[in-house]
Amino acid sequence: MLTAFEDTAQRYRRRVYSFARYLLSSREEAEDVTQEVLLRLWRHRQGVDEERLGSWLLRVTRNACYDLLRKRRSESAAGLAPGFDDEAEEEVASAEPDPQSRAEATDFRRRLLVALAEIGEPYKSVVILREVQGLPHREIGETLGIPEVTVRVHLHRGRKRLRELMKEDVPHE
Amino acid sequence: MNRPHDALPCEEALDLLEPYLDADLPPGEMDRVRRHLEACSACAAELSLAARIQRELRALPQPDCPPEVIERVRRAGRGEVVPFPARERAPRWRIAAAAALVALAVGGGALGVHIQHVRQQQEQVAQATREARLALAYFGKVTRKAGLDVRDEVLEKRLVVPVARSVSRSLGTADDAEPRKEL
Repeated sequence: MLTAFEDTAQRYRRRVYSFARYLLSSREEAEDVTQEVLLRLWRHRQGVDEERLGSWLLRVTRNACYDLLRKRRSESAAGLAPGFDDEAEEEVASAEPDPQSRAEATDFRRRLLVALAEIGEPYKSVVILREVQGLPHREIGETLGIPEVTVRVHLHRGRKRLRELMKEDVPHE
Repeated sequence: MNRPHDALPCEEALDLLEPYLDADLPPGEMDRVRRHLEACSACAAELSLAARIQRELRALPQPDCPPEVIERVRRAGRGEVVPFPARERAPRWRIAAAAALVALAVGGGALGVHIQHVRQQQEQVAQATREARLALAYFGKVTRKAGLDVRDEVLEKRLVVPVARSVSRSLGTADDAEPRKEL
């Protein structure tokens, strides 16, 4: 039984963790959420439909992240800078060979992550799940409990909002 | 300006750039946006930005979960009690550091009154002083990380040195050792 659970945990751990990481902009909190979500999977594994396991895990992850974000907001205004933590900064570093292009590309990604943290829900979740994680519209709809057509609308609005924020950030771009 | 009857105004074209990129518009709308973009360099530049944003989002890393998290879940699955790892977050450290400051100031002064004739307590006070210095050094580190403008030299000049001097005077010993700045 544990082996089957471990297989599932191994299969979904990256998806759960990276979704939490982008929602929370915090490595440590993403680890806590991943642990909590996988433990919840362990407890409720009998009641979860195998075909919908992926969207169930992402829905539980999103709820856990938003519980944490609410707690973070109520605890202190001195939270993390929006967008990313120190390690994420290393992860988004561009691999461009030319130093100037590399610096520009890394800066673009860093500003993009900050903008992503600011676009609000449900756009943020839809953009992460579709563009970063590459999930099909149907699965995103199941995760968020909305029709596919609404997923597409949220996706386009979310990316448009990102474009507007990126322009505000660098008006002469 | 004369425009064909089905020409798009910029405002409407800008609303349709993302669905246009995804080819998520009816064929007629796709044509209208394309014609507008061919004639409007400002909107074409917006399309380039929209395309780059999508490209960069798709290139973002998907970090993997550290193995120790899975190990904790595995142990919990076997019935072991596995607590979440204890982590010191910035606000708690600020509180702890502030408490250490108060303890140092109050404790150092109070100890000074009693300690002159109690030789065996000197080592305890010296130890308390060292621990308080460590707390102060950490306080400096945490406040820097939290973006608060409290520099090491300010902490040292305003807090560490005066308090250490006060404790040393109370003990009747000179203690000129430099405080540690980093842990």
